[in-house]
Amino acid sequence: MDKNNSNALVVGAGISGIRTALDLAQQDFHVTLIDKSPAIGGILSQLDYQFPSNHCGMCKMLPLINRDASSQFCLRKGLFHENIHLLLSCELSGLAGEAGNFTARLRQKPTWVDPDLCVGCGLCEKVCPQDIPDCFNEGLSSRKAIYLPVPHAIPNAYVIDLAACNRCGACEEVCPTNAIQLSQSNRKAFNILVVDDELSIRDSLKEWLEEEDFSVDMAVSGADALTKLSQKPYQLMLTDIKMPQMGGVELLKKAKKDHPNLSVVMMTAYATVETAVEAMKIGALDYLIKPFDPDTLVPMVIRIFQDIEATKDREITIDTIIFSTGTSFYDPADEKNIFGYGIYPNVLTSIEFERMISHTGPSQGALCRLDHNPNDQNDPPVKKIAWIQCVGSRNIQQNADFCSSICCMIAIKEAVLTREISKGKIDTTIFYMDMRTFGKSFQRYYDTALSEHGVRFERCKIDSISLDKKTNDLIIRYISKNGELKKELFDMAVLSTGQRPSYKTAQLAKICDLSTNPWGFIQTLPFSLTLTAKEGIIAGGSVTGLKDISQSLIQASAAAQNAGCIIHSKGSKKLEAPIENKGVYRDVSREPVDLLMVICTCKERVTRFIDPKILTEKFIQDPCISNVIFLDNICTDNGWQELEQIVMDCRPNRLLIGACHPYLYIRRIRELAKKCTLDPVFIDVVDIMTGVFQENPDSQNELNSTGFHITGILNAGAAALKQAQYQTSHKIPVHPSALIIGGGIAGMTAALGIADQGYEVALVEKTDHLGGNLNWLKQTIDGLSCENLLEETIARVTKQPLIRIFLNSQIISCTGYTGQFKTIIEDGEKQPVTIEHGAVILATGGNEARTQSFNYGTQNSVVTQKDLEIRLADKSIDPKKLDSIAMIQCVDSRQEPRNYCSRVCCPTALKQARFIKEQNPEADIYFLYRDMMTCGFTETFFTQARKDNIIFISYEPDNLPQVEEIEGKIIINAVEPVLGRPIEINADLVVLATGITPEFPDTLASILGIMPDMDRFFQEADPKWRPLDAIKEGIYACGIVHSPGSIPESIATAQAAAQRALNIISRPVLASAQIVALVRHSLCSLCQRCIDTCPYGARMLNTDETKVLVNEAMCQGCGACAVICPNNASVLQGYSGQQMLGVIDAVFEDLLN
Amino acid sequence: MAEHEPLIIAFVCNWCTYTAADLAGTSRLSYPKNIRLIRVMCTGMVDPQYIIKAFLEGADMVIVSGCHPGDCHYINGNYKARRRIKLLKEILPKFGIEKQRLKLTWIGASDGIEFAKTMQELVIQAKTIGPNPARTGAGL
Repeated sequence: MDKNNSNALVVGAGISGIRTALDLAQQDFHVTLIDKSPAIGGILSQLDYQFPSNHCGMCKMLPLINRDASSQFCLRKGLFHENIHLLLSCELSGLAGEAGNFTARLRQKPTWVDPDLCVGCGLCEKVCPQDIPDCFNEGLSSRKAIYLPVPHAIPNAYVIDLAACNRCGACEEVCPTNAIQLSQSNRKAFNILVVDDELSIRDSLKEWLEEEDFSVDMAVSGADALTKLSQKPYQLMLTDIKMPQMGGVELLKKAKKDHPNLSVVMMTAYATVETAVEAMKIGALDYLIKPFDPDTLVPMVIRIFQDIEATKDREITIDTIIFSTGTSFYDPADEKNIFGYGIYPNVLTSIEFERMISHTGPSQGALCRLDHNPNDQNDPPVKKIAWIQCVGSRNIQQNADFCSSICCMIAIKEAVLTREISKGKIDTTIFYMDMRTFGKSFQRYYDTALSEHGVRFERCKIDSISLDKKTNDLIIRYISKNGELKKELFDMAVLSTGQRPSYKTAQLAKICDLSTNPWGFIQTLPFSLTLTAKEGIIAGGSVTGLKDISQSLIQASAAAQNAGCIIHSKGSKKLEAPIENKGVYRDVSREPVDLLMVICTCKERVTRFIDPKILTEKFIQDPCISNVIFLDNICTDNGWQELEQIVMDCRPNRLLIGACHPYLYIRRIRELAKKCTLDPVFIDVVDIMTGVFQENPDSQNELNSTGFHITGILNAGAAALKQAQYQTSHKIPVHPSALIIGGGIAGMTAALGIADQGYEVALVEKTDHLGGNLNWLKQTIDGLSCENLLEETIARVTKQPLIRIFLNSQIISCTGYTGQFKTIIEDGEKQPVTIEHGAVILATGGNEARTQSFNYGTQNSVVTQKDLEIRLADKSIDPKKLDSIAMIQCVDSRQEPRNYCSRVCCPTALKQARFIKEQNPEADIYFLYRDMMTCGFTETFFTQARKDNIIFISYEPDNLPQVEEIEGKIIINAVEPVLGRPIEINADLVVLATGITPEFPDTLASILGIMPDMDRFFQEADPKWRPLDAIKEGIYACGIVHSPGSIPESIATAQAAAQRALNIISRPVLASAQIVALVRHSLCSLCQRCIDTCPYGARMLNTDETKVLVNEAMCQGCGACAVICPNNASVLQGYSGQQMLGVIDAVFEDLLN
Repeated sequence: MAEHEPLIIAFVCNWCTYTAADLAGTSRLSYPKNIRLIRVMCTGMVDPQYIIKAFLEGADMVIVSGCHPGDCHYINGNYKARRRIKLLKEILPKFGIEKQRLKLTWIGASDGIEFAKTMQELVIQAKTIGPNPARTGAGL
């Protein structure tokens, strides 16, 4: 892998950065992924729980196809992928060039602990005298100056926070592997050359600098200096300007020519300052005016030394750059701090609360008041917690006229978790203005929270929080929905803090010359959530505004698709296809087992418990074990090299390594496997250390039992390896094309996304024209023309030769599996056409829901939003003739059987209201609504509407407004909640927001072999982590058949779905992984139970051969088939029954003897 | 006679409980040495015969631990394990093995503390139940 040359640079390794990088890497593009922090995961590394499962599922983001190229363990712990170069503690410091040829400058911050040497023993942490707030736990606990940035990361090396470090050097003394290089010892490696013709100056400089531990040499003249420079590397040269023969400036020129990285400081008398300044123009770093004393010289040299140590700048060439730098949160202590955050002890932010309920958090997941001692048994328990919504959001005074979109769901999740953790003992109340449950399944989650978990929701306006000084309880005063001022006591208040642009966003915008929106988020192009005004610079994830997990991932995949198009259009090459693994390994299937056991002594921490001699003698008795070798610190680079050498010398056909943290070694094992041509199936690492023994065992008994335990683990590991088997893998060829069903804006965008990267697309549309809902939509809320978008897109689709358009067509059948689908299309002439393709994208869209509520259909003045849009366009409704209009929101929506929010209706109603007001400012417009769902930046239109005197009246679902016609006039009866009295509205026109129903017929679902969700939208494999994938691999969805959304959101899902499809169709073959299931046909009775149990549909009965076959690309190696098989005919490679039973035998072997 | 030191076999899934065990390790939480972890890809691949085998060889307790319901990396493997263990618990007493000797838990990847705690509790429980009759009764 060329580390200075990448196809793409992804800045930020939160979930969206990871998604973008994985998507591009899956396509065999080379990606450099950087993050400013020392661990990956971004905000998600702090969050343990995500709804709707209320647990984590991040690992589901890992690739399913070609999965051996990436890590296969918990993604919160770490990530590697063959095509991703991950740089942590690294920032972008400069960007030059243009799309296809950018030069990015990266600056890697030193952590002062060598990660290749650190074994994570934690001795340093024990001796560190500094105690500072731990930012991982949001300051709720403390840490040392040397610390683990994230408790669960792998590899987990310590880092030093230099700002907190007092340079006492205690950690360095105790470090057993010399991984810490904090103190002045590496000043010794900093070579300084002092050049002066005056001996006294040379001597005193040498003395001063050597006192500070630097290495100093002296040169008497320019010529002497050049000789010395050529003999030994110097980092810094201090040179006089006025010297006989060769002056300082000339020396500088010559020295810089041969040693461009040398830092030079000019020493000058006052008279030659101008010369010194000139010298800086040709490369000198700084100058000193003589005479100077040590107080001037030494700090300057130390500063230069630290700068050089700190900045390991590097430049890489890239085609495109993706910003996934995320957002940060509003700090409620800013400005007026009306909620007493940081002043009252029990006021927290939602992130702080997440840390509190985390098992790795400050109280290990126990909910306790912060003003109490958590270890005190008599501590009064928390009884009531309040959540306060919209802190720092939807607030014009705070320049936050936007909705942060995710806080409502976070609050509901936190409240539900609290109810679960406390088994219903803690009362939870959410104080809110509008409950914005606008995403897929959000409304049902809210309903469950309300009805099953008993979370209380209070629609109100918070007046204030104050403190009961005696008890430290919080007094929350609020104005309830009927206008009363109420007061309630709580133990704790959680502030749902809104989003702010990350402090880095402005800096990045400046580096890359990007514009930002009025609130400081990166501005994207119209109708795109990812493209910026500068070609080749792409925004992914929440850098354009806070998003929840699924939205972030969708946008990240869309960004990857945009990036792929740029890389493709610039003609950049992909990585060369990796040499197919299996071929390079030697066949050991016929050899007798020859197992080499290598045990890490971990600086004698292991040999305290086991005697190497006895252990070797014991194991060597086993004829399968040829050798037992003890090595020190295998986890370090040196240790590993030693191990490699031994393996190359011994050439065993099984290798067992006894060490710690097996995950740490996966990448190294793969590399070693290639070097020694031994299939990684035959190499294993067992954990003989973690959690097994204490630092200081207190008895001989304990020493013995730990030794016994280690032996047992090694024995079991050896047993598994002995039985390991080798299976030649199959490769499944891929049809490099895709089928897209639905020719609306989503389908067309997805088609372009794939065709623009050079793959064929069949675009099937059931009507006689492309465009779907864009045919009647005229403009968006921000005034963009949908007609232009439609025209442009249709023109691009029809001009693209790789897209084959089928109008008036439908799918008759679809067989096969990922990479190899075969579909019959009935085309416009009713003729069957068979196509073969590698992936399917479902983009069948949806329609405005039909209704019979509110007298729709019987009265002409009751219309739907779609009717209104069409009739305003054809001028059959004239806004100027309307005096009074009523918009009724959530018609038949957000209640069973259509219990979901359609997301677009509130902005659409506001759009129409705005249009009518523009035409007829005198018109009265009333909104009858439940919760205004103006998420994100559409909030500004809600604010504007209120300024425009549009009247908003909320109603409850159990008390719907009544619409009746009296003498040709429509009268609406409703209850005005603030007044608490019934009101009557006379309306000329009633507009119903009926929401969206998906267009996903049962026949199509069964043809594709997938199931719709309970609202008949597309059912995703995982609502958070695989938002566009069907459970059946190779099928994706986009547009409003996936979920209701605006045009830009539909476009983003389309691009993301295109990317997901490209991950498959851009590979020539799909290779199987190391751990896959196989069938022993001689034992198989064809009962087909394995076919039913396989969650991935990777098994099928081949009726021609009467065999059950496994699709090795689709098989994920879960082993369900192996258990269900009554004849042991189904085997999971690497975990066969023989191996497992062998392991169990080995476990008991020692114990019972 | 010295106190009975129980032996416990734990089948842990790669994605959640093994990760939790690893986290317990990095957090320097020790758990009893009476427990042998056997890593599997998913709890759904734990064949009842492995559990029976472990009991017959003398395990005092067997625990199967994986991802929380709804969290399985392989969509539904943990549900399969749940059904299987429920059935197995019905059968075990017929072999003279108390059903309390078999446990099923869910320990998520970030629950290092929960892991250590569960393992400590298991040892206490195993001591209460007493040695597996298979250990002493020859011929099994």
